[in-house]
Parts: sequence; structure tokens; C-alpha cells
Amino acid sequence: MLRFTLNGQTVETDLAPDTPLLWAVRDQFKLKGSKFGCGAGLCGACTMHVDGVAQKTCVLPLAAVAGKAVTTIEGLDPQGVGAALQAAWVAESVSQCGYCQSGQIMAAAALLEANPNPTEAELETAMAGNICRCGCYPRIKNAIQTAAATLAQDALFTDAMAEEVSA
Amino acid sequence: MSTLSRRSFLRHSALAGGGLLVAFTLPGCSTPPSLPVPRESGDFVPNAFLKFTADGAVHFYCPRDEMGQGVTTGLTTIVAEGLDMAPQRLTVELAGAHPDYANPGMGFQVTGGSTSVKEHFTQLMTVGCQMRALFLAAAAQDLGVAESALGTDDGMIVHGEARYPYAQFLATAATLPVPETVDLKNAADYRWIGTAFPRLDGEVKATGKAVYGIDIDVPGMEHAVVVRPPVFGAKVVRFDDRAAKAVAGVRTVVEIATGVAVVAEHFWQAKKGAEALTVEWSASPLDGATTASLRADYAEALAAGGEEAESTGDVAAALAGATKTVDLEFWAPFLAHAPMEPMSAVVHVKGDSAELWAGTQGPGPAGALVARHAGLEPAQVMVHQTYLGGGFGRRGTLTHVVEATQISKATGTPIKLLWTREDDLRGGLYRPASLMRIRAGLDDDGRLAAWDAARAGSNITPETIRNSLPALLPGMPDGVVDFMVGLTDRLHQGWVVDHSSIEGLYEDYAVPNLAVHHATKEHGIPVTFWRSVGHSYTAFAKEVTMDALAEAAGQDPVAFRLAHLEHNPRLAAVVAKAQEAWNGWTPAPGRHLGFAAHHSFATSVAQVAEVSVEDGAIRVHRVFCAVDCGLAINPDIVRAQMEGAIMYGLTAALHGKLDFEGGAVKQSNFHDYPILRINEAPKVEVVIMESQEAPTGVGEPGLPPIAPAVANAVYRATGKRLTELPLSDALRLA
Repeated sequence: MLRFTLNGQTVETDLAPDTPLLWAVRDQFKLKGSKFGCGAGLCGACTMHVDGVAQKTCVLPLAAVAGKAVTTIEGLDPQGVGAALQAAWVAESVSQCGYCQSGQIMAAAALLEANPNPTEAELETAMAGNICRCGCYPRIKNAIQTAAATLAQDALFTDAMAEEVSA
Repeated sequence: MSTLSRRSFLRHSALAGGGLLVAFTLPGCSTPPSLPVPRESGDFVPNAFLKFTADGAVHFYCPRDEMGQGVTTGLTTIVAEGLDMAPQRLTVELAGAHPDYANPGMGFQVTGGSTSVKEHFTQLMTVGCQMRALFLAAAAQDLGVAESALGTDDGMIVHGEARYPYAQFLATAATLPVPETVDLKNAADYRWIGTAFPRLDGEVKATGKAVYGIDIDVPGMEHAVVVRPPVFGAKVVRFDDRAAKAVAGVRTVVEIATGVAVVAEHFWQAKKGAEALTVEWSASPLDGATTASLRADYAEALAAGGEEAESTGDVAAALAGATKTVDLEFWAPFLAHAPMEPMSAVVHVKGDSAELWAGTQGPGPAGALVARHAGLEPAQVMVHQTYLGGGFGRRGTLTHVVEATQISKATGTPIKLLWTREDDLRGGLYRPASLMRIRAGLDDDGRLAAWDAARAGSNITPETIRNSLPALLPGMPDGVVDFMVGLTDRLHQGWVVDHSSIEGLYEDYAVPNLAVHHATKEHGIPVTFWRSVGHSYTAFAKEVTMDALAEAAGQDPVAFRLAHLEHNPRLAAVVAKAQEAWNGWTPAPGRHLGFAAHHSFATSVAQVAEVSVEDGAIRVHRVFCAVDCGLAINPDIVRAQMEGAIMYGLTAALHGKLDFEGGAVKQSNFHDYPILRINEAPKVEVVIMESQEAPTGVGEPGLPPIAPAVANAVYRATGKRLTELPLSDALRLA
């Protein structure tokens, strides 16, 4: 029996330890937001966070996540970075077929958590592992930059509020 | 009732004039109880498309399939405009299978050919306007006032200062006859059409809540993976399933028409079981074939001449008398669609009924195929349509639905079949490869005098017949289907030309002497519609040739095209619009511009690409795109489709190819079938031509110009005239 945390809840599985995390999450825990695209870590449709780091889970065996904290699109922070990204995704109509977008957003969330103000080159490097066959790339770039700007504004506002309160 | 024909629609142009009184035969007036629309008492279901509930909700049953092209937003906007209610207030449902959801331009329930908005515009505008008229009549009766004293505003009946929601009049509306004629809304009064607002499916797709075929779970469901032959045409001789059955979770192994299915509790177990299976395959005529051998066969067919498709004037004499000539041979390889969601379907065959859950480009045909292979009538099959994780033409062919049906029939359990990515790339249904030759000549004035074009390759129509006839005519025996496929194939070899094989090779520019030929060569490699179909390769040949001709004529490539477009005002206008960008554009140092234009699916597109070649690598930095698609229902979705088609076309232009080795497809996953990534994606600027003409398609027409635009830029950068796709390979070999 193997244990890990899935979106804040401790879960157990008796699936073979070489089963990729993606299939345990989809088939056993019934969370369908993370997608299968290639099964080889090449397209990023299966991206989840493992201890806060974006991982391609179609090639990540269950054995590698024992005791770790796994976050899927369903458990993405409904405030902060996740919310800012999702709002930008909707406002800018990023999605076409939408199939890769959970993975795109999870990769983008890990990027902004680590680097709140990425350059275009940093953004491209962080997102280059996620394929979008509909070709939404220009909008993915715009949405990440919009979310980063929104979060920066929010941070300024929060800092100003904190100063006001302390003053 | 009479039917408003498309021609009379265009002639009277309700869009331009407005207020046209139309009588329209609506589907859905007939037998509402048979509609796949769940309803409770108090619900009002006046036709196949709309359900009004007492709590004020309005459900729109979208007849076309959402594969990313934005059809759920576009068609909802049209019906909502007629209804005079914000599209965001409607709940969009993906329609199940029913004749009332047929594509009006095709007569059956299929989404493709960039037809959805074009074919449904008048129908759904009429539906919306009829329902608005009905609520006005019901309100007049309930309020005891003259209908002329009432108006509407965003889902409300307005009477002076008073406002009443439509839902208040549901009970009365349900007792009144639906008006047979109705005034269509004036274009000048549109509130949502022509406005760029966010897609209606944006939120479910940004939160992981959108449901695709792969996401379906039903009680007792088992997972299947099918092992198919490595070479098309091979059949199972025998198989050994002992090792497969020893894999934990594997429950059964079943032989089906296309291979051997391994069925397990979970997908991963089924996949491990499939890897443990040993299958012996029969020989195939394709054994030993290589890309080079296939191409040599096409070259032989091309040299033999093929069938005449078009002929005007005397092309041989015009070429002989030409001042300058261009003679180029073009190659475009086999391509897979590679939608991000590999093929998937859930089928449950029960005793006297069956259910299908899948996202397909043909829910009607899909249900009929389930019925055929389950031994049922189509009416006994319930089809649940889901979102499609990409389509691009691939989800119009439903082999995977047939496979899932055969497996479920054998096991008696609900079966989720999933193709792996390797299955997707190696399991067939490709854009056919093409060898093309264009010989063109200029007269003394530098005008196009002769255009002699030919294409060799396989045709998509026989395979389309093989896949669609059993669905459209469920009673037709397999033997007759095979006969029809063979007959079509034979007709293409000596009698008639499959137009989709040559479309786009010659139509756009004025030329007095024209000849077009097609040479069919079939190898049994399954091919089908691939985003923009024949145009995906013919535009490459045509537009690279036009650039070479402009150079031979000593003319600017854009001006040269414009000089041959007097007869083609809509294409001329987008070329002129792109010319403004072209003339005002100073490329960054080391970068070069390329131009191409193409008309397909009733839409005209012109593109300029800014390209650099560094260390042998082609990089596309910026693309300008002008498009005339008539009235743009949602301009932002038009822009998105142009952006997406450019990216999809760039994958093909720069990287896309499937090779054959030993009869089998060599590529297997995204490491050797690379897809354009974000760091390779150009910036795209789209200009939509102002138009009040009837709307036309946008899913496909953005694709054809990009490969030639890039190739023409590479020529300016390197002096190398690339005539083979993908361009990255061609540049390496040039």
C-alpha cells in the first residue's frame, strides 16, 4: 500500500508501484482534469505539481510520489496564482479544444510561483514542454503575462495595505 | 412551408438588407418526443435546438461538434441574437444523435469542411427569431395588450416601463403555434454578432472540468488497448495471450476485426498486457514499402500523365510560345493529425440497446456504426457527445468506435478504448502524400499565359466511402460496401478525378491556358480529411510557383499576384490588405519576408511571414494574416482560428512527416513527430476584412498559405527554392 497526499487529502493505492501517477489519479481517484497525451513525458498534458514542482506524470511512477504532496488542476489554489491564471485564460480565450490546458496552466502556475515576473525567454523555456496542437501559444504567453501583472498589482496593493495598517 | 434556399438567402442578403420575411422549414417541428433532449414537466421544447425551463434557463442543443474551433460559442451567438438574449445566458449542451441535428449542407450529422457557421447561420437565426416572436405573442395574450406595444431586451419582454422574463410566458407559449414566417433580425440591430467576447467554454476548459471522451467513467467499465498490425493490410494469423493474461488486472483478450484487444480493470494494466501479447501477422502488399518506393510509384504515375481534370485553351502551345517558363516538382509527405486527445470511446452493448460516449465529428454516423456492429437498430443506440480533444478531420473517421463496439459486444461490459500516441501515429488515417508538378509560362508582357499542373497520390474518397457508407446506410452489407469502395477506386484510375486531391492547385489566378491532371496511385495506406484537405499541399505548390514566376517576370511577388486577380475581388482585397503590411514592413536584420495567398472553404486568406535562417534552422518570427470570411460572428474566434491554423500549418511546414520503412510507419511519438512548441511560435497579427456578406468557414482556410509564405521567405534568405515539405528537411538537403 502506497500513500501520498492528493490535493491536500491523504490517499492510498495498491496499484503496481510502476503505474504512472497520471493513471492512478485518473482511473482510481477519478480526477479527470489531468490528461493523457503521449505517455512519454513529451507533451505535458499530464502536468501536476509534486511538492510544488511541475512534473509530467504519465512517466512518473507511483513509487516516486510516496509520501509526497500531489496537486492537480482540481486542487489548484483557488486564490492567488491559480486564480489569476485561470481568469486570464478565460478573459483572453486561450483555450480552443482545451485538452492540453490543464497541463499548460499547471506548468504556468509552477513558473509564476518560482518566478513572479518571467522574461519572455524564461516563459518560453518553462512552457516549452507543453504542446498545444490547436496552436494557442500566442494567447498562452499573453495570459501568463497578464496573470503576472495582475499578481504584481495585487502584491503592491497588499503591501500598501500592510503599510497603512502598520502606520 | 417553403424552404429558403441558400441562393435566395444570398440574393436577398438578409444580412445587408435585414427585415427579410422568411418561411423556413425547421427540423424539430416533427416528432419532439424522439429528440435526445431530457425534459421534465413544465419544460418547453419547441424544436431540437432549444429547451426553456420554468426557472428561466434556456438550453441550446448545439448541433455541431466542439473540437476547439469555437462552434459552441458561434452557433449559440446566432440563436441568441435571434432570441434577443445574451449568449452567456444560454446553457450550451452538446447534442446527441438525431436527424434534426444534420449539417444542413450535408444532410447528415457531421462537423467538418469549415461549414458550421456557413450552413447553420440562417437556420439558427430563424429559430431564435421564431422563438422571440412566439414569446411576444404569448406575452401579448397573457398581458392583454397588443403585440405591437411590446418589445424585447436581453431575454425580457418590455412593455413601457415594465419588464417580464420570457420564462413568465412559457405555459402560454407552449400552447401557441410556432410562427411559420418570421422577420429575421436586421444586421444593424445585432447586439452580439460581430462582437469579440470571451468563448463560452473558456471556464470549463481552464479548470479541468470540460469532459472529453477519455474522461467518461461508467459503472462496471473496463479498459481496452488494441494491438494492431505493424503494416497496413496485415491480418491476425494467430496470437499467444498467456503472458498478457498473466499481467495483474488483465481480464480478457479478444480478437476483433482490426487486431487483438486486451481488456483490463485499468488502462495501464491493459497497456502492459498489450505489450506482453505476441501476435503473428499475415503478409501485406505494403510489406517492404519505403517512403522512397512510394514516391517512386507516384513519380511513375505522374510521368504517365493521369486523368484530365481541367482544360482551357491550349496549354502546350502556350508553354511552347512562352517568354519565360517555370517548371517545378513538389513533394508533400504523409501526415498524422495528432490531436492532443488520442482516439477514445466508451461503448456499452447491452441486450437490446447500446450506449456510446465519445467526442466525434459525427455523432449520428457514430451511433449508426455502434448499431451496425452491435446488431441493433440506430434508434436503440443512445449517443452521448463530449468535447473533442482536437479534431482536424481525424475524428470524422470512427474506426475506434467500431473497435470499442466489437470489444463490448464480446465482453458484455462497458468498454473504454483508448489509442496510445503510438497507435495514433502508426494506426493510420493520414493526410495523403503528394507529388506535384507545375509548369507555367509568362507572355511578353510578364502575364501568366500557361498553367499546367498535375498531382499524383492516393485519394481520400474511397476511404471516406469505406468509413461513411456503413454508417449512412446501416442495412448495406459489408460486401456491398467493399464493392463501392473498389468501384470508386477504379473510377479514379482512368475515369474521374477526386476533386479533393487537386483542389486549390489552379483556381485562384486568371490564366488563359490551363491544364490540370491527376494520377491516382493507391497503396492501401488509409488516408482522410486533414485540416484544409487538398489545399494543405496544393497551395504550397501553387504559391511557390507564383513567387518563382514573379521573379522570372521581374515583378514584386504581391503586385504580380494582384495583376492576376481582377476576376476574384475578395481574394484580391485580402492580397491588397496584406500588400499594405508587405510594403510597410522592414524586416529586422537577418530576416526576410515571404508572401502567399489562397482561397479555400469560401474564405480568402493572405499571409506575410517574417523568417530568418540561422545555422540551417528556419525560424518564423512574425506572421501577418488578412482574412475575408464574410460576416465575422465572433471576431476573436476568427482571429484564434487564424492563429491556430498558422501554428498547425507551421508544424507541417517545418517538421511534419511520416516515413515508411519496411512497410511500417517509422515515427511513433512526439520525439520523432515533433509539434511546434511555444518557443517556435511566431507573433501573429490578424486583420479581418469588414464584410456584411454571408459568413463562411474559418477552421481550415488559415492553414494553406503559411507553408508557401515561409518557403518564399526562405528563398529570399538563402536563394534556395524549397519545393519539398517539411522545409527543415528540404533546406538540409538543398
